[in-house]
Amino acid sequence: MKRTVFALSVILAMAPSMVWAQGKYVHANNSGYDNLDPHAIFDVGRAASRINFYDGLYRWVDNPPKLIPWLAESHKSSADGKSWTFNLRKGVKFHDGSEMTAADVIYSIERMLATKKGASSLFMPIIDPGTTKAPDKYTVVFALKESSAIFLATVPEILVVNAKLVKQNEKDGDWGAAWLAKNVASTGSYKLKRYDPAIGFVGERFKEHFAGWGPKAFDEIEFRTVLETNTRVQGLMKGDFHGTDGYLPYDQILRLKQAKNVQIFEQESMRVFYFSIHNDRPPLNDVHFRRALAYAFDYNGFINDILKGAVARNPGPNPNNLWGAPKDLQGFTYDLDKAKAELAQVKQPLRPITIGTLAGFSETEQAATLLQNAASKIGVEVKIESAPWQVVQSRMQDRDKNYDMVPLWKSTYYVDPNNWVGELYGSRYYGTRNYSYNKDDELDKWINDALAINDEEKRRDLYEKAARKVTEQAMGIFVYNTKWYGPYAANVGGIRFCPIGSGQDMRWAYFK
Amino acid sequence: MRRLEMILSRLVWFVPTLAGLVVIVFLISNVIPTDPVRVALGENATLAQVEAMRVKLGYDKPLAVQLARHFRDVLSGNLGTSIYSQRPISEDLAKRLPATLELTLVAIALSIALGIPLGVVSALKRNSLLDHAVRVVSVSGLAIAAFWLAMQLQFLFAMKLGAAPLNSRIDGFGPEPITGLFIVDSLLSWDMESLGSALSHIALPALTLALPAAATIVRFTRAGVLEVINSNYVLYQRAMGMPPGLVVWKYVLRNALISTVTQIGLIFGVLLTNAVVIETVFDWPGLGTFAVQSILQSDHKAIIGFTIWTGALIVIFNLLVDIAHSIIDPRGTR
Repeated sequence: MKRTVFALSVILAMAPSMVWAQGKYVHANNSGYDNLDPHAIFDVGRAASRINFYDGLYRWVDNPPKLIPWLAESHKSSADGKSWTFNLRKGVKFHDGSEMTAADVIYSIERMLATKKGASSLFMPIIDPGTTKAPDKYTVVFALKESSAIFLATVPEILVVNAKLVKQNEKDGDWGAAWLAKNVASTGSYKLKRYDPAIGFVGERFKEHFAGWGPKAFDEIEFRTVLETNTRVQGLMKGDFHGTDGYLPYDQILRLKQAKNVQIFEQESMRVFYFSIHNDRPPLNDVHFRRALAYAFDYNGFINDILKGAVARNPGPNPNNLWGAPKDLQGFTYDLDKAKAELAQVKQPLRPITIGTLAGFSETEQAATLLQNAASKIGVEVKIESAPWQVVQSRMQDRDKNYDMVPLWKSTYYVDPNNWVGELYGSRYYGTRNYSYNKDDELDKWINDALAINDEEKRRDLYEKAARKVTEQAMGIFVYNTKWYGPYAANVGGIRFCPIGSGQDMRWAYFK
Repeated sequence: MRRLEMILSRLVWFVPTLAGLVVIVFLISNVIPTDPVRVALGENATLAQVEAMRVKLGYDKPLAVQLARHFRDVLSGNLGTSIYSQRPISEDLAKRLPATLELTLVAIALSIALGIPLGVVSALKRNSLLDHAVRVVSVSGLAIAAFWLAMQLQFLFAMKLGAAPLNSRIDGFGPEPITGLFIVDSLLSWDMESLGSALSHIALPALTLALPAAATIVRFTRAGVLEVINSNYVLYQRAMGMPPGLVVWKYVLRNALISTVTQIGLIFGVLLTNAVVIETVFDWPGLGTFAVQSILQSDHKAIIGFTIWTGALIVIFNLLVDIAHSIIDPRGTR
């Protein structure tokens, strides 16, 4: 009897903590977390550490993406679009208990511009070092060199670090790079609890976060590096992980759909699969040759037979589900007769075309093989070279070493048509995000005008015109828009997918 | 005395061997058409960012200058900083070395424990059903691709039977490191929970590595025993009425194992090579996964650092094997 009373009293004593303990969420990630510096990393694979540890002035959430005030409460811009004033939320605490102020925001943008890494490329062309000012403790004013309609869309990438703490850890003028690579100095939703670059990280819920918490939010999140796809999938089925990446090969998604303890969230993302074409190299600089190739790709066969209808046809450079994508754009269809007719108009001598595919990404290899097969029927020889993404990417950024064509995805870094048609085909982005090396004055004018004005209707018109021209001139071959199949354990709820961050913003999620 | 000379001679060769490795890997890294600076800065970096970083890291200099600078750094004990993680490469390697060492040593122990007894039994029962079975299994062990075997073992033991963890080195992040070898650390701190977790996690990757190695040991042991078992001195001991077990243990095995011991030294290198694949499949945070990530990121200095460390490990292990060899068979060192 005494034992029973004792046991009951222990259970009762533990009850409050049991009610509030929401446990640990474990995620298997396909990339390594070898650096936690929010201003050094900007790739989709390592988004979790940036989103869960750091906050920006605004934040992208949901799908279709919405921009919501975050560290800032509001903003206003000048009539010429060059001056942007942000009013900061008061009383926001860093993990060490100190208050976040305008000085921290200024230090963060200056740090980005000085270290020249990660998302800094979005701001370097429009913000000069030393020009961002703080009229008072809670106001930040960005003075842009030129009007930028996409500035607000990119503001979430200015992740705010604790200036005082980082300065204390600066060494040899490194802006605290070595220290921030393995530490966190932020206001973010989770505090760093454990970090091992070889394994991943554990974040502990920051209870004092300004945005508050739902009653069932996770106490801890653990993101582990698991490079092998099969291991991630099996681990999720076995219950070792609660979630993994949402862009798995579709055969793995079908496998996961069979598992009773796994649920798949399905959303149309903003990740366009297309063939990048080197427009500045003969005979690809001839529109008829490019059109011949565009007619030679079997879109329906690829989408319905190879990918089992798991994606949505996207005929142009902008995602279907974003403004700036013409609703009536038809794009190309598979028609070898039309391909031959276009080819007949090519004046320059033909030569074998080289397609670079991404090793390990079977869809790129399948798409290239499909095009190779059809191209041979119209008399165009295609060679396929497979290499890791890093090799392909560094070659694409070099006009001379670039492949003739590369099938790949264009992901969402900010939600604006400029992320797609602007960056892929505007000559201002040569060597960074423009791999097509096309030079079209009319297209450049539309893209540059759309960047300089804030009227969304006028911008929509300009981007639609740009998307039409790029498609009709076959500057690329546009195939589909990806669907995100987010695989999570059946007991996970509250996942808010956003194309930016790919559903890894864990502050909203919970165990059912 | 001859043994000391042998050790010194090996140590003298250690330096040019590693220098050769550095040159080869440096040249191969630069033949690959990748720009490490662009890779490190990512697809969003501007040309100005790329050029600034290239100058800062010395990638704008001629190859010979880069190589000379790298040698200078290596000689001063500085392997450089990873262009990707921004951390000293030695720090990353040191953190991951215990994981690979633990996996490799357990795999070697397992392969010896399996391979030598099976090889002896197979030789003693020559042409029996058991001998045929062992030979078939050992040939299969050599023929099966390591990554395929890893996935099959995962599927059977982790997914179907639930008898072993699927991946990683331990539950969570492991105990506070003393030696970095989780099995040793959990014993030193008498943490039985961590010990159980470490042992269960190492079972499948170690078995995957050990099976092909055990197959090699079986074949060499079997051949060695067969060669020795019909020699005159063994026949003499038998004729003297010495118990068969004692003859095998004392006279056959010692002489039969000479080639096996040499083989174990070579196996260590093979295991380190296979660890690159196995660690990736089992999400094992060792040198293998570091190498894979460094190669994918075109992190030249990290690749060279990995090569130097693994090269040194192989040289040291081979030296230990040579010493063991000289003890088992002192004829060469007298």
